[in-house]
Amino acid sequence: MKLIVAEYKDVPSLYHAAEAFRDKGYTHFETYSPFPIHGMDRAMGLKQSKLGWISICGGLIGCLSGISLQTWVATKAYALVISGKPLASFPAFIPVTFELSILFTAFATVFGMFALNKLPEWYHVIFNHSRFHLVTSHGFFISVEDKDPKYDESTISALFKQTGGETIEVVTDEN
Amino acid sequence: METEHKLTGYLTTRVPKLLFGLSAFFGIITLFGLKTDAHHAYASYLVAFIFFLGISLSGLFFVIIQHLTRGGWGVLVRRVPEHFMNNIMLMAILFIPILLGMNHLYHWLDPHAAHDHLLQLKAPYLNKPFFIARSVVYFAIWIVSARFFFRNSVQQDYLGGEMNTDKMQKRSAIAILLFALSYTFASFDWIMSLEPHWFSTIFGIYVFANSTLALLCVTILMYLLFRKLGFLKEIVTIEHYHDLGKLAYGFIIFWAYIAFSQYFLIWYANIPEETMWYMPRLANGWGVVAFILVIGHFVAPLFAFMSRHVKRNLLTNGIFAATILVLCLLDVYYVIMPTVSKTFHISVWDISAVLFIGCLYFGVFFIQAGKYSLIPSKDPYIGESINLDNA
Repeated sequence: MKLIVAEYKDVPSLYHAAEAFRDKGYTHFETYSPFPIHGMDRAMGLKQSKLGWISICGGLIGCLSGISLQTWVATKAYALVISGKPLASFPAFIPVTFELSILFTAFATVFGMFALNKLPEWYHVIFNHSRFHLVTSHGFFISVEDKDPKYDESTISALFKQTGGETIEVVTDEN
Repeated sequence: METEHKLTGYLTTRVPKLLFGLSAFFGIITLFGLKTDAHHAYASYLVAFIFFLGISLSGLFFVIIQHLTRGGWGVLVRRVPEHFMNNIMLMAILFIPILLGMNHLYHWLDPHAAHDHLLQLKAPYLNKPFFIARSVVYFAIWIVSARFFFRNSVQQDYLGGEMNTDKMQKRSAIAILLFALSYTFASFDWIMSLEPHWFSTIFGIYVFANSTLALLCVTILMYLLFRKLGFLKEIVTIEHYHDLGKLAYGFIIFWAYIAFSQYFLIWYANIPEETMWYMPRLANGWGVVAFILVIGHFVAPLFAFMSRHVKRNLLTNGIFAATILVLCLLDVYYVIMPTVSKTFHISVWDISAVLFIGCLYFGVFFIQAGKYSLIPSKDPYIGESINLDNA
């Protein structure tokens, strides 16, 4: 994996640089900032996250587990008559079913988010950039990966310079 | 800026006249019903009254909660709920027929209720003078709060500055407290006491959840109507419809949560004095209504309107709001009507009462809306609402 990385001074320059890369048709580029920037997903041209679909799958699995577990317990495993009600009394199952739906939705959302972000990730090539440690305090960076079909170091560094990028470095696993 | 965003044209002139004409027509039918079939028609009138009162009260709630939380997103969509809230004075006048017909509605007022042991025990609360006194207090609270928030909001349209916002934010805390208590007790008095033996402490919240959903739907529809006629086209954007839709979606779930909470405990305990409210509501055709409410008021919209794309499409958002609004009315009907009619059948009075109050309500609304700017144009937080973005 090979990246070309540039540092930017502030939020507006990072934001406009992201827009420039989006408009030039780059797809495998990433922005880094110490804090979330509103509208950055749009500036980068990111698509709607798939996380919602993962959440609803989790929710439906939770819902089905809740209903089937209780139905099995109440009618087969421990078939006890409680307060004269039928064995499979669905109103009684709703609170647990509801809670399990919520719980599984939360799990699916949190762990789905981890998976989509490829977390946890202890090492990344970009750590080899000489100034990247500043990203947790006041550094703003853009990287373009060599997977990008339009990857070309000279045109990218020209675009970096044009949009205000500094300390342009090509980083690989070796250095 | 104010002159640009004013409701003009036939919505403020011919439409209110037409609505008042229709209202007079249906008013005569309703009056005929009240004279000939008092038992049923007063309940029909109560359904319509509670439904539109709920829209006004939830309008008040929406406005208070915006100030209480210092909300920025809703500034541009606050004026319509403010006008609904201001209609509380109309609802106070429309309460008079209920006072006149209370003997037909509330059977704890019957002389032979004196032989009913439970009603005797409840008499210190459920008696005519105290009932009327409480009703007066509720309306006093609502009118004073609604006038206060409305006056300050429209005053700010020409004064500008933060003085009015400061005042409203300061008063919003006490206003929400008074609102919650008065709404709960009004629901107990005017709806729950139709079946004076029965009680449910969550009942006020149930009525409130339904009416707030109705308010959000009617607000969405009103802004869609304005948009269709060319008002606020660039101002109230897809982001505002999306946010109102999200809030309405939340209230769909909230309504179901509260409705189930009430049903669940009564079903589990299975005590006759509590189940007596649900038994007639699950038989003789009312069971079908209950089923329609469960599916149409909760399950179907839960899945159909979960997606952001559905909420961000003005057509589907409007269909959603219109459908839910009808189901909110059905919910009020379902809560009130089984008391007087053991089988489910919609009578002429049911329809005429809703149209009588509805036409009057929206007629007054359009006239009032034409008098003021359509947006609180000098609210200090208006920038947040203009730049609203759901990402």
